[in-house]
Amino acid sequence: MPLLELDGVSKRFGGLIAVNDVSLKIEKGESFGIVGPNGSGKTTLFNLISGIYRPDSGRIFFDGQEITELPPYRRAQLGIGRSFQIPRPFKGATVRENVAVGALFGTLSGKIDVDSALEIADHYIEVVGLHEKRNDEAERLTAVEKKLLELARALAMKPKLLLLDEVVAGMNPKDVDRVVDLIKRVKEEEEIAVVAMVEHVIPAVMKFAERIMVMHEGRKMVEGPTLEVLMMDEVAMVYFGESKLPGE
Amino acid sequence: MPFLEQLAGNLIYGAILGAVYGLATMGLSQIFGVLKIVNVGHGAFIMLGAFTAYWMFTLYSINPMLSIPIALVIGLSMGLAVFYTVIRRLIGAPELSSLLATFGIGIFLEELAKFFWGPDHRGYTWNIGSVNLSITLIPYSKLLAFGMSIIIALILYSIFQKTRIGTAIRAVVEDREGAMVCGVNVTRIYALSFAIGIGLTVMSGVLVTLFVPVGINPYMGGEYTLKAFVIAVLGGLSSPWGAFVGGFIFGLLENGSYTILSLFPNVEPFSLTRFVAFSVLLIILLVKPTGLMGGEGE
Amino acid sequence: MRRYVRPMIPVIILYLTLLLVGLSSESRWQPVAFIMFYIALGQALNMFLGMTGYVDFGYVAFLALGSYGMALAFSSFSSLGLWVILLGFVLAIIMSSLLSLAVGAIALRLRGAYFAIATIGVNEGFRYLVEGVRLWGGSEGIIISSTMKDIFGSDLSNYISTFVADIMVFVIGFIAAFLTVYIINSRIGYALMAVREDEDAARVMGVFATKYKIMAFAMSAIFAGLIGASAWTLKLTYVFPEDVFNITYTVEAIAIVMLGGAGTLTGPIMGGLIYGFLRYYLSTVLPGFQLLVVAPLLVLIVTIFPEGVMGYVKRKVRNTRFEKYII
Ligand SMILES: Nc1ncnc2c1ncn2[C@@H]1O[C@H](COP(=O)(O)OP(=O)(O)OP(=O)(O)O)[C@@H](O)[C@H]1O
Ligand SMILES: [Mg+2]
Repeated sequence: MPLLELDGVSKRFGGLIAVNDVSLKIEKGESFGIVGPNGSGKTTLFNLISGIYRPDSGRIFFDGQEITELPPYRRAQLGIGRSFQIPRPFKGATVRENVAVGALFGTLSGKIDVDSALEIADHYIEVVGLHEKRNDEAERLTAVEKKLLELARALAMKPKLLLLDEVVAGMNPKDVDRVVDLIKRVKEEEEIAVVAMVEHVIPAVMKFAERIMVMHEGRKMVEGPTLEVLMMDEVAMVYFGESKLPGE
Repeated sequence: MPFLEQLAGNLIYGAILGAVYGLATMGLSQIFGVLKIVNVGHGAFIMLGAFTAYWMFTLYSINPMLSIPIALVIGLSMGLAVFYTVIRRLIGAPELSSLLATFGIGIFLEELAKFFWGPDHRGYTWNIGSVNLSITLIPYSKLLAFGMSIIIALILYSIFQKTRIGTAIRAVVEDREGAMVCGVNVTRIYALSFAIGIGLTVMSGVLVTLFVPVGINPYMGGEYTLKAFVIAVLGGLSSPWGAFVGGFIFGLLENGSYTILSLFPNVEPFSLTRFVAFSVLLIILLVKPTGLMGGEGE
Repeated sequence: MRRYVRPMIPVIILYLTLLLVGLSSESRWQPVAFIMFYIALGQALNMFLGMTGYVDFGYVAFLALGSYGMALAFSSFSSLGLWVILLGFVLAIIMSSLLSLAVGAIALRLRGAYFAIATIGVNEGFRYLVEGVRLWGGSEGIIISSTMKDIFGSDLSNYISTFVADIMVFVIGFIAAFLTVYIINSRIGYALMAVREDEDAARVMGVFATKYKIMAFAMSAIFAGLIGASAWTLKLTYVFPEDVFNITYTVEAIAIVMLGGAGTLTGPIMGGLIYGFLRYYLSTVLPGFQLLVVAPLLVLIVTIFPEGVMGYVKRKVRNTRFEKYII
């Protein structure tokens, strides 16, 4: 049984079909990547999986149950954690408080008190390397730090599926390497069943994902082992033709 | 069948009033549609329009139809003034700020009106005869208000569709960043949209006076704020055209329920009609939060 | 424990000072009680507006229902003797919380702007219902002064409305402050913080936003109801719909919370203190026109000083040893 299954999922905004009949299975233990040019529907797909939007048609299954109609908070508790493409920290709160929210509400396993949540928060803040900033207000973090904060916040939810929307975008190559290594390590240590990453930064995807899906104008174009897919001519056409070259 | 006749008469009246309601709501939707700001002080601008008509008529014997352009000028200038002093600073701020600011502005205008003109209810009569429809008498002044509302709505529509400004406004609504890249001065579009919205609202206040013979007073706006919200939500909140249609629906609903409520003893139909307005609002929000004619948006 | 005690220290100091000033001479009690009303009002509204960032333009309806609750206890259950006051508070709690649950269940599922729109009519809508179907005495309201004299005799009645009612407001405000400290440090506080800062992000992190918003709304409504029951019905001994549904109190409450600093513990106290003081002494200069001053003040605060007095102080004491005392 796959951990996540999308069955013919579509979402339209007015006349535009942002996600068009996408079906997808992601197995437990996978590292999965989603690539595609700007506006191809990657973020919308994440929004459908995490429940910010309901699909107009199609169904979504997670961990053996249908979640198509579940509100976002229920999906989060079932084990879907995510980051936002443009980080959305709780600006006025400290880094610790931000991460503690994930620990307090992001699991199904009973209620924990604030003190234990803050301890869990400290652990993940350490993991992503924000320890020194843990009492700073989130709005004072740099762009890279905000992305790391989002990662820590999602990890504190102990997710089974971690959806990362362009976490390494805008980072310098050194930071990219560091963060990709971090994600790979965390995936093993925390026994997160799947990490799905949406990325423009192809080297990061190649380093991270075993399998990828290419999206184009809302549709799934191809899906398969990362290197194989990236070699395909038509992928190069739609994607690299109008965006970045591999290795750039 | 006196009841049915009365109902029919009231529904005709409701449709006429509905057009004015529609116009009185377009400004609210216009501002929300472009700036994503809810003008909680909406009714105060209707009140200003009503006082404009009143003073023009009683001081200078200017008839309400001629007060309309005067009200437009007043509304546009107030809109620009309010935008550049307050609203501009709130774009991108938390929603709470703009809700509170427009609320405060509305209250302030009411208090200013009370300070200068006193709390009394005022009114004037502009009698130019009526047409007899056998079931009901309709004064020509109200028919004129009906016609004027439709004409103003049509003029606004053609401004939106046919002029450069209209195109720029639509571009900003559809894609703010994109419009900015294409060289549209977004702040100026906001200012203009806000001013047009306030202009429409103050103009509608002039027409409202033809339906409230002695109801012109500083606090008259509260009722119209509530009604405008009901209508705007009916029409989908961000579309001036939806608002215009919503106005008709609301006019019919209000006058229909008034007729029915009058049948009950022990009930003050006038007060209860306003409770109905409020209940309708909650029901729509319960059933379809984005408005009966509204589209997407969670 | 220290998490709860330390922030309460400034609160206790402020309340005690106020109480001592009020008791120090007979002529000071009235102004102090007047200020206390605004502090308590600010504290009640802050539980919702400050904690969630949502605004309820019909807030005064909760005070109104609370004052009706107390009045109904007197007019229908006068045989209970002194217990009637307790029953009045219970009714106040029930009525204000029922209204908050009804409005909240419908409108708090919605986002800020739609919620605000829905609340615009609550106050007027309810007033027109009371007047329209002649509920609870319709537009004539309920007058309890003679019932009160019958039950308690005129000395005790007098004592209740000139002193006990004020003390009750004092106590209600203090309990509200205490509950606020508790909430800020609890799961609920974290949930509300997340909702206030970014509702979508909160939801995808597992926060059942609607539930926590309704909780905050109901708590805030209950405290408003209690204030209405004591500061209006017990103190003034009558309830008129025109007075108790007056939007002025909504505006004042919002201005107090914003002036003091929304979402902070000490903010509403500061806001109420400043506002109550100014209003008491300025009302002689501009009688009946307080809104003429409050409304532009509110606009000014939200445009140029949105964090409010204690929001500013709180930011200034961050990373100093006072940090734990000012929340
Ligand atoms: N809430 C919305 N309302 C209207 N249109 C939207 C909305 N969200 C996304 N879209 C549109 O849907 C399309 C897909 O957008 P999406 O953000 O999913 O693309 P993406 O693949 O994540 O792009 P990018 O690489 O730029 O992040 C775009 O045309 C976008 O403008
Ligand atoms: Mg995207």
